[in-house]
Amino acid sequence: MCFTQNFSQYLVIGLANGFLYALIALGYTLVYGVLQLINFAHSEVFMSGGFAGYFVLQAVVGKQPHGVMSVVMIVLGIAAGALGGGLVAFLLERVAYRPLRRRKAPKLAFLISAIGASYFLYNLAGKEFGRTSLSVPYIFNGSNSGIAFTIFGAQVQTIYVIWAVAAIVLLVSLDRVVAKTKLGKGIRAVAEDAETASLMGVNIDRVISQAFVLGGLLGGAAGFLFGLNFGVVYTMGFTPALKAFTAAVLGGIGNLRGAMLGGLVLGVAESLPLSCVNPAWQDVIAFGILIVVLLFRPMGLLGERLGRSA
Amino acid sequence: MTTPLTPAPTPGAPLQGTDSLLLEPSGPGRAPWQRLLANEDFRRAVGCLAGFLVLAVMTGPSGSQGAPTSGFTGSLFNLRVFWFVGLAAVLWGAMTLRRRYSAAVKVWNDKALALPRRLLPDTRVRYGAYFVLLVFAVVYPMHISGFWQEVAVQQIGVYVLLAIGLNVVVGYAGLLDLGYVAFYAIGAYSAAFWTGAMPVHLPFHLNPFWTIPLAILAAMLAGVILGVPTLRLRGDYLAIVTLGFGEIISIVAQNLTSITGGPGGVLGIPHFSVHLLGVHYVWGLGNLPYYYLLLGFVVLILIFFHSLENSRVGRAWTAIREDEVAAQASGINVLKYKVMAFSIGASTAGFAGVMTASQVSYIEPADFTYQLSILILVLVIFGGMGSLPGAVVGAAVLQWFPQFLRLHPLFGFQQQDLYIYLGALLVVMMIFRPEGILPSKRRKREIGLAEHGVGSADAMTTSTAEVQ
Amino acid sequence: MQNRLLRKLAVPAVAVAVSALSLGATAATAAASAPTYTIAYEGPLSGGNAQLGLNMKFAVQLAINQANAGRTFGKLPFQLKFLPSDDQGSATQSPTAAQQVIGDSSVMAVVGPAFSGATKAAEPLYAQAHLATVSPSATAPELAQHGWRNFFRVVADDNAQGPADATFAVKTLKAKTIFSIDDGSAYASGLATAFDNAAKKMGAKVTHQTALGTTQCQAGTGNVQQYSAVATTVKDSKAPVTFYAGYYCDFALLAKSLRAAGYKGTLMSDDGSLDPHYVSEAGAKVANGTFISCACADLSKSAAAAPFAKQFEAIAHFPVGTYSAEAYDATNTIISVMKQLGPKGINRASIVNALHHVTYKGLTKVVHFQANGNIAGTAVYIYHVVKGKIVELGLAP
Repeated sequence: MCFTQNFSQYLVIGLANGFLYALIALGYTLVYGVLQLINFAHSEVFMSGGFAGYFVLQAVVGKQPHGVMSVVMIVLGIAAGALGGGLVAFLLERVAYRPLRRRKAPKLAFLISAIGASYFLYNLAGKEFGRTSLSVPYIFNGSNSGIAFTIFGAQVQTIYVIWAVAAIVLLVSLDRVVAKTKLGKGIRAVAEDAETASLMGVNIDRVISQAFVLGGLLGGAAGFLFGLNFGVVYTMGFTPALKAFTAAVLGGIGNLRGAMLGGLVLGVAESLPLSCVNPAWQDVIAFGILIVVLLFRPMGLLGERLGRSA
Repeated sequence: MTTPLTPAPTPGAPLQGTDSLLLEPSGPGRAPWQRLLANEDFRRAVGCLAGFLVLAVMTGPSGSQGAPTSGFTGSLFNLRVFWFVGLAAVLWGAMTLRRRYSAAVKVWNDKALALPRRLLPDTRVRYGAYFVLLVFAVVYPMHISGFWQEVAVQQIGVYVLLAIGLNVVVGYAGLLDLGYVAFYAIGAYSAAFWTGAMPVHLPFHLNPFWTIPLAILAAMLAGVILGVPTLRLRGDYLAIVTLGFGEIISIVAQNLTSITGGPGGVLGIPHFSVHLLGVHYVWGLGNLPYYYLLLGFVVLILIFFHSLENSRVGRAWTAIREDEVAAQASGINVLKYKVMAFSIGASTAGFAGVMTASQVSYIEPADFTYQLSILILVLVIFGGMGSLPGAVVGAAVLQWFPQFLRLHPLFGFQQQDLYIYLGALLVVMMIFRPEGILPSKRRKREIGLAEHGVGSADAMTTSTAEVQ
Repeated sequence: MQNRLLRKLAVPAVAVAVSALSLGATAATAAASAPTYTIAYEGPLSGGNAQLGLNMKFAVQLAINQANAGRTFGKLPFQLKFLPSDDQGSATQSPTAAQQVIGDSSVMAVVGPAFSGATKAAEPLYAQAHLATVSPSATAPELAQHGWRNFFRVVADDNAQGPADATFAVKTLKAKTIFSIDDGSAYASGLATAFDNAAKKMGAKVTHQTALGTTQCQAGTGNVQQYSAVATTVKDSKAPVTFYAGYYCDFALLAKSLRAAGYKGTLMSDDGSLDPHYVSEAGAKVANGTFISCACADLSKSAAAAPFAKQFEAIAHFPVGTYSAEAYDATNTIISVMKQLGPKGINRASIVNALHHVTYKGLTKVVHFQANGNIAGTAVYIYHVVKGKIVELGLAP
């Protein structure tokens, strides 16, 4: 009874959240693809994007924007968020990853330096920007979450439309970039076999940096899109990044399309049961699904490596 | 077995003449700014300057929501910034000198380290040193304040236990466990259950001492139940499954209010007590009795783990860690040994849970978070993965440092900035000493091998393609 | 010339170090002969709950600064120092923080611990040391039931506030069905349980859910994106009143989602939401019409409130937040007791005794304690959000 009631509404909510997860998850997957490392500081890349978008919008949004101006503002915010995220990801690779690679550090050392960088970044943000949530200015009539349209009895909020459109555009562009461009070729080559790629003259340092920045651009954009609805605060990265990491593994870490699929599946899987179950159990359901999926498909849903995905 | 991280071509001297994808322009045709960027001295100067400017911001005034740039301007556009620029120049000078006279430094180093290098391998010297340390650990806490005694038990002692337990899982067997805190919670809640402090309890109550084996058993059982199906997974997949398990346990403890007491936690877990043969002793609020109890157990566990490390089991773990496929091929029952490591680590955490529950006599689910799992992992790797002294020292140093800062707020340290400093410490430490403070000899060798492209330094992230 | 430059450089660096070391001892040099006592504060100062702790820390510091400057109690025959001790809001960190406080023999009383869990873990130690603790924010009812003579709090416990809220929802708002949500924290789940039980007793049908608090707010583990789905469930329940137990930031997210989902019922929350940030984060359009209850009188009606808010912001660099005023009151209550005892009579035990008989008119209420340490006269006030402003409606029925 409860599961069928309002099924479409919970599905829409889940898909909307899933798009955000997918955007963040790609950052994990790109870095994993070239380095076989979980970037534990990706949550702070996400947060930086949120703050960058917030500050830019705070500076430009004067009166309530309408119509085309709203769209311009969103694009501006996404661009600012992406740049902020990309910049932090770039610095992160330079400071917390590259020196360790030079020293041929064991993998877990990377994990610790990433965790250290994460502690450092989010607490620094708290110190500099205050520790309470900041609301991103409204860029539509009076709110960011009005109802855009209704489909199969499900109300679709404006913010969902923004998330979906932005995510689809960004995901498709990333897919094309990785599949078609020279940059993408480099990333795929390193993901497939770093040693051979380096023998072929691929500058591995640069490719890794590019993978970080690409992931950072998407993560930062996601940070802004997230902040648009929920506000930005120094600890905003924790849970979304944890979920996105889960989504990346669910889809098969290192696999771009896997991350997209994993994000959507996770978003829907943790939204649908809420019609029946107390939301306090949400994470138990999400992680339960993950464990079960991994037991049957130990490499994730699409379980493949980045190199062979496109 | 290939390693995904092979030595990159030396920067500035990529292969010439190949039809490259992403080759940098190089050689004499480079612009002056490119040459400047490639200059080692210049790069180091930029690094030093950047590092100290970051330090200036870290230690500078805080910003606020209304004035988000005030923290940056207050710390950078202020005369104090010259201090940091000066320090950066000093460091740069020292690094440059050190490099220029690297041969001399090496000779001096060799001389200074000659004696310890000769003495350390001597087992008599080593056991002597351990004995001196043990005497120190027994005598010293009698002469410190109540605060430091509390730190010695609750902040250092318990975390040393947790770290050496996780060291078995991560350091010996090479399994990345991100949900270790779940077993700590299971231990603590078992203690609460068997002593009758939980809302759901048995008609009889046990002395906390009797709950130790029961809690260890419960944690071990949980380890086996989680381990048997999931330890077939490799590397990061295992990491996320354990992470999920940790979250599930803490959420269950939080949600099942009628059984576990819910978010309000469990209050009134009794202290340890002995009532045997006319001897009555209760471990009360004082910390020293708990300290000695903990010290005794830690020493016993250390001896046990040490002998385990050098046994058949320990060698099997090493084999699995270094190359799982090869280990399997040489007839090692990989799953069995993995489950063994997992449950031994789990039971150590379970024991630590009993100690905490009994000493604080209160537990709440909010204390068993994912962040705590990460912290314990940090302690292990900071100390030196796979090394028992490393885990002990790592836990002691990293847990002592914040408490030291709390009493001695140096250079305008503010408590709310604690994690900025800890984070920076971790990054700097990993850049300059990625193997940890006291790495095990074997790990050092593995890292050395990895440097030459033989095997990988750990089994964490063996690429998935190789399994197929 | 060179000297002057050196001095210019040295002064700011030394000033930074000194200002942090000598917290709040602005007038310490004035009266060297007077004895110096310390008032400590235990609460979260680092980690995810830091903001809540800082709200209180700076209020305590402000009260001490003002007392030292002779502004609140006239010229005092002693000097006060401040010792903040960080427990990260965690039960396992709390005994360590308590030991730091207890170990400092100049500490005469403690404001805090801030969290109920931390209080449960540390209070046996404080009791052993006969050190009075006045909590500005620990609301778990069972804290007053352990016979800790040194335990006091200036907030109403959940058993006082929950039923008052329920009465308001059922009797005044005439709600037959109520959707009650808590954030899974010890504070909120206790309050929500008290609310649910009282409402059910009065004949209302109560649906209860837990939506774990998020990191957008305190150090929660909840998922920020859950609120849309929760809102759908609430809307389907068609309950005319939704009660939220938790803090303003999560409540703002929930309120936004509820309105976005088209929920038309009345929203109600507790003192954790009595914060102007609730309105600014949810937006006035969403927040208007929300009822908030608090066992505290309207700050804006008190003449002292405006200067308090201004001076607080001057030292904290952020505006007054949840529990700031309570911490200020707790500190001033302690100082009033110390003034009354005089330098000859001040010791840890005498302060505990004197606190049992104190009557002090603070910003939020008249502070007077029951024998078990609970605040006496736990009048619960109802507030209403009107045109983007939180205004007091009067006492709860």
